[in-house]
Amino acid sequence: MADNNKNTVVYRLCGKIDSGNAPQIEQEIFTALAGRGDVLPVLDAEALEYISSAGLRIILRLKKSCGDVKITNANSDIYEILEMTGFTEIMQVEKAYRKVSVEGCDVVGEGQNGKVYRVDRDNVVKVYKNADALEDIKHEREMAKLALILGIPTAISYDVVKVGESYGSMFELLDARSFSNILAKEPERIDECVYEYVKILKKLHSTHVPEGKLPRLKERVVKAASYTKDQLPEGLGDKLMRMIEAIPETDTLIHGDCHTKNIVMTGEEVMLIDMDTLSVGHPIFEFMRMYNSYIGYSEYDPQVLEDFQGYPAETARVFWKKTLCAYFGTDDEDVINSIEEKIRCVSYAYLIDWSRRHKAAETERGRLTCELWKKRITELIPRLDSLDFEVNEATRDDPNELTLEAEKDNLTRVLEFLDRRLESCDLPPKAQMQLDLAVEEIFINIASYAYSPNKGKATVRVEVTGDPVTVTITFIDRGVPYDPLKKTDPDVTLSADDREIGGLGIFLAKKIMDDISYEYKNGQNILRLKKKI
Amino acid sequence: MTINKQKNENGLLISLEGRLDTTTSPALEQELKASLDGVDSLVLDFEKLDYISSAGLRVLLSAQKTMNKQGEMKIKNVNETILEIFEVTGFNDILTIE
Repeated sequence: MADNNKNTVVYRLCGKIDSGNAPQIEQEIFTALAGRGDVLPVLDAEALEYISSAGLRIILRLKKSCGDVKITNANSDIYEILEMTGFTEIMQVEKAYRKVSVEGCDVVGEGQNGKVYRVDRDNVVKVYKNADALEDIKHEREMAKLALILGIPTAISYDVVKVGESYGSMFELLDARSFSNILAKEPERIDECVYEYVKILKKLHSTHVPEGKLPRLKERVVKAASYTKDQLPEGLGDKLMRMIEAIPETDTLIHGDCHTKNIVMTGEEVMLIDMDTLSVGHPIFEFMRMYNSYIGYSEYDPQVLEDFQGYPAETARVFWKKTLCAYFGTDDEDVINSIEEKIRCVSYAYLIDWSRRHKAAETERGRLTCELWKKRITELIPRLDSLDFEVNEATRDDPNELTLEAEKDNLTRVLEFLDRRLESCDLPPKAQMQLDLAVEEIFINIASYAYSPNKGKATVRVEVTGDPVTVTITFIDRGVPYDPLKKTDPDVTLSADDREIGGLGIFLAKKIMDDISYEYKNGQNILRLKKKI
Repeated sequence: MTINKQKNENGLLISLEGRLDTTTSPALEQELKASLDGVDSLVLDFEKLDYISSAGLRVLLSAQKTMNKQGEMKIKNVNETILEIFEVTGFNDILTIE
C-alpha cells in the first residue's frame, strides 16, 4: 500500500479513519516505516474522506516518532479539521486543489489581479493572473472578511481551486451579474445602476476603519505625484504636490477599484467584489480610480474603454456624470464641474506615473495618451487652489431619512422613525395621529404593490419647516411606476352593502394631508405629502 | 391592541384598546370570524381605541355587512379623531355610532 521515495515514505490514507480502524492503520504505517531509518512520512490524503480524533492521534504519534510528518492533498473538509485542531500550525499540510475549467464561461468581473468567471448559476471563480497567487488569495480573503465585518456587502471565497496553471478562488454569488454587463445589455437600466452604485459608495465612504488595518491610498498617490511633478512645466509640479499633500487624511473606507465590473447584482442584493485594493482615505482617491476607469485610461482612445467594459465610452461618461450628480446631490453643472476638475487633477497625477510604471509610452497610443494627460493637468493646476471637497454633506447619515425593505412587517419601524423625528416638534396628538395614518396608508400601499411579487426598498423622508409648522413626508421607491393620485376616489355615499371592501387608504391620506404631489423621476416613484400643523 | 370579549346570550360586546391598524386588524378580523355565528347584537366599544387606519375600516365594513344579514351592530364611545376618520370616509353613514 505504501509508495516509497528516497527520503520520504508516502502512505495513502483512504476512506474513513475512526476508532474502529485506527489501530490497524497505525500498525500498517509503522510497518511501512520500519527499518527505513531517518525518513519523512508523507500522508497522502487524496482519498481520505473523514478522520476522527483516533486518526489524528496516529498522526501525532507519527510526528513524535519521526520528528516530522507531512500531509498532502487534503480536501477542504479534511483541511478544515486539521486547521481547527491546530495541526496546520505544527506540521506541513498541503491542500488538494479542486480543478475547475472556465472554458466557455462568461466573464462577470475583472480587476487588477484577475478575471472573474461564472462557472454555474450559483458560483463564480476569480482566476488570478499571477501564477504564484496563494499570497494574493489570502490577502484578498482577509480584505473581504474585514469589509464584511465593517458592513460592506461582499462575497468571501469558500475554496481555492486550480484553473489550468493558475489559482482561482471560488465564491458563491447567486445569479451574479456585473453592472458592466447590465449597462452593456440593458442600457435603459442606467439610473437604477447609478442609484445602487452611489448607495454603496456612500456606505463605503462613511465607514470608519480601525487604525492600521488598511493601507492609506494617499501615500501611493503622493508617491505617484512626486514622479509626475517633474514632468510638468516650472512651478506647476510643486503646486500639485502641495495640493495633494493638503488633502485631509480620513479613516474612511475606499474600495480602490470601484468600477462597474466590480459591482454585481445577485438577485436582490448588490455586492462589491475584488476587494484586494481596499484602502482608507479621502473619497477623492476613490473618485480618482473611478475617473481613470471610466475616462482616464481611454481619454485618448475611447475604444480602450469599450474593450474593457463592454459598453460604449459614451455610456461610461454618462454613468460617471450621473454618479457625480447623485453622490453630491446636485444637478448644478458648475458645482459638478468644479468637483470633477479636482478629481481629474489627482487622476492625471496618478496616471502619468502609471504610464511610466507600465511602460505604456512604448506604444504610440500609450505615448499620445500620456501626452494628453500632461496637457490636461497643465491646464488644470493653475485653475485650482485646493483638491479637497465637501464630502461630509454627501456622506453623513441623514437623520431625516429611513430606507428599508418595503414590507408590511416594517410598518412599526417606519412609524417609530416618524415619531422619533417628530418628537422634538411637540405636535398636538391629533396631528401626530393623522401623520401616522397617512404614513401607514402610503407605506402599506408601497409594500403591497410597488415591487409585487418581488421585493424592494422604500425610503421615507421627513422634513419639518417652521412658521406655520409644515411637515413634509416623501416616499421614494423604485417599483413599477404608479401615480396613486390618479386612482378614483371611492364613493363614500354608498350603503354598507354596496360599498367595496378596501380602497380607502390612499383616499384617507389625500383627505388628511393638505397637499400630495407625485412624480416619476430617474426610475423612482416620488410621492410628497405636506401638512400644515 | 387588546381585544376584550363579553358574550351575553345572542349579544357580543367587544372592547378594543390601542391601535387598530395594518398590523393589528387581522387579529380582530379573526376574532369576529370566530365569534359572530348566532350573534344578533354586536357592540364595539372604542373608548380605549386611539387610532384606526384603512385596514381597521375594512374589518368594520366587513363586520357591518355580516351583521346587516343577522342583526345589528353598534359602535360606542368613539373619540373625536376616529370620528373624523369615519366622517371623511362616509363610515358615519354606514355604521351606527352611539
